Amino acid sequence: MSFIKGWAASAVIAAGLATASTSAHAESATLKTVQDRGTLLCSGHNGSYFGFVEVNDKNEWKGFDIDLCRALTVAILGDPDKNQIVPLSWAQRFPALQSGDVDVVIKATGWTMGRDTELGLQFSLPYFFGGAQLLVRKELGIETADGLEGGVVCVQAGTTIERIVADHLKTIAIEHEMVSFEKTAEVIAAYTSGRCDAYAAWGPSLAVIRATQIEGADEHMILQDKLSSEPISAAMRQGDEGWVDIVNWMLAALIKAEELGVTSENVEAMTANPPNPTVARLLGVDEGMGSRLGLRDTWAREMIATMGNMGEIYHRNLGEGSPYKLPRGLNNLWSEGGVIYAPILD
Amino acid sequence: MIAAPAPVNRLEKLKKRAFATPFDTVISILVLLFLAWLIWTAFDWGVLQAIWRAEDVALCQEAGAGACWSVIDARHRLILFGLYPYDEHWRSTLAALAIIGTVVLSCIPWFWAAKRLIPLWIIGFATYYLLMEGSLIGLNQVTTDKWGGLSLVLFLFSSVILLGMPMGLGLALMRRSRLPVLRLVASLLIDFVRSLPLLTTLFTAAVVVPILLPDWLQGDKIWRVIVAFALFFACYQAEVFRGGFQAIPAGQFESGKALGMGKWQILWLIVLPQVFRHALPATINMVVVTFKETAVVIIIGFFDLLASASAAFGTGEWVSYYMETYVFIAFIYWAFISSLGRYGEYLKDRMRQEEH
Repeated sequence: MSFIKGWAASAVIAAGLATASTSAHAESATLKTVQDRGTLLCSGHNGSYFGFVEVNDKNEWKGFDIDLCRALTVAILGDPDKNQIVPLSWAQRFPALQSGDVDVVIKATGWTMGRDTELGLQFSLPYFFGGAQLLVRKELGIETADGLEGGVVCVQAGTTIERIVADHLKTIAIEHEMVSFEKTAEVIAAYTSGRCDAYAAWGPSLAVIRATQIEGADEHMILQDKLSSEPISAAMRQGDEGWVDIVNWMLAALIKAEELGVTSENVEAMTANPPNPTVARLLGVDEGMGSRLGLRDTWAREMIATMGNMGEIYHRNLGEGSPYKLPRGLNNLWSEGGVIYAPILD
Repeated sequence: MIAAPAPVNRLEKLKKRAFATPFDTVISILVLLFLAWLIWTAFDWGVLQAIWRAEDVALCQEAGAGACWSVIDARHRLILFGLYPYDEHWRSTLAALAIIGTVVLSCIPWFWAAKRLIPLWIIGFATYYLLMEGSLIGLNQVTTDKWGGLSLVLFLFSSVILLGMPMGLGLALMRRSRLPVLRLVASLLIDFVRSLPLLTTLFTAAVVVPILLPDWLQGDKIWRVIVAFALFFACYQAEVFRGGFQAIPAGQFESGKALGMGKWQILWLIVLPQVFRHALPATINMVVVTFKETAVVIIIGFFDLLASASAAFGTGEWVSYYMETYVFIAFIYWAFISSLGRYGEYLKDRMRQEEH
């Protein structure tokens, strides 16, 4: 699709010139479009993607990625419903972004070099880390992959998981046997029949399988080890720095809120009586949070009041509050042993 | 007229066909037993042991539980209406009925005249659009990206046929034209479109066109897709019509000329009725295939029946019951397509009677 690349490249150049001619604090063309339109256009899915993009019984979108889109909508337009979730297939998401069918792609999208450079995209800071993980029986009594010495690991053939697991277990010097199967159902059958000690797959998918496809799900657990890491970010068109800033600080505010203990429950109390200057700034008690981005000063407060902080969004869609009960692991805050962090809010 | 054959005793006939020799008898009995087992298993799974209500979903996990129709009970509105807003589903229902009504009415011979058919289709489609979109008749506006499920499939299907049929006939006539330019254009277009997969054509219309064309020329994605799909249909249908034309002996044209009829009179009164008759079986085939091919639009982000079905079981609570969901939509497809097939049979019978 070289013509898309060509188009993207010329767009980048054009946008670059446009940015150069405006003032130092980037004014976002995308933000202006969204505000004029009164709706934010986000990416949906053609069907559903467990935990991230789903449809509820009332024909409405829900999920982790959908909640981030709604949070962004509150930040910009003050109402979580002022968005339009455009159903897109995986292949369609980047062309749709380039052609302006969506303003941002928040759709379990990995940050890769090819997308960042050749496709002319720009990525936000990662909001989720997915990777290969291991499902085991609790009766094995192990906490990490170190306990798998001499065990049998089952995987689906033809995926990158196979190599990743082999690499990881070799690195930590664990003797093991690898058995691969063609179909997901076959791996599940092999695992449940006791032929394998562990089942390796992409973490979020594994959580779904554990919760729904394996009898007595409570007797099984997903090990905390992440054998690989794939940073999941929001994707935007290159050349609109101001827009990237908004998406980045939307994510940062959700993370910072969790770090500071601000939740949808206590946000009003915290606003009335901020415990420290950072909270005061985050919640718009002190001025400055909004004008730097071209938004209202209270955008983060409204966003947290409606959508909750990053921890609440995770809990609701992927964690204990969901059918998946995916342990947070790497997706915890840095202070809790994860890798999720926010830039400094000064 | 050939005399009808004397009625044969059915039992005799069956005996002769299936139980003539001991070997035949054994095979027949085995096949019957297998069929009985198959039907019983399906019946036991789908009806006797089935769980019907959404509240009883816990029972589905018990040993010996059959089909878990709870997923349909809980999610049928998602399957049937896609992303259409929940409180407005009555509109989507009425709109779908308007399209079904239009199609059924235009199948009745009384409507087979331009003066009746054209107003019927205009009214049918206008009703659909006004109800679904809503803002023109004072209802809440629902944009086309929220249209989905069965209503969307019916709309796509009937629009494609409605646009594609005349386009196909036009292309077939162009390809038979005496003017080399028309002939060349038609052949090039037909061969080009037929050499591309449907998916590529639709992907181009949905994704690539907006990159290449300015905003004001694009139109809504759904219209671009319908036009592209109709073009695809027309190119195949043109070849079906061409086959119909070739089956007509040259004498028919010559007799028309001898009677002093003009070119278009010959075409309209003598040739085309016969072309339609010859092309009918292949046309019904095309129509049935098109109905099923509407499922391809899932790839360009439309929430058709298949997409909304996969969304219906695409959540932690319901993922185990994908089989029931697929059986449900298979039944919907079967109901529509077998009706189309039945109607095709009726048409063929009717035309055969006209010939005698």
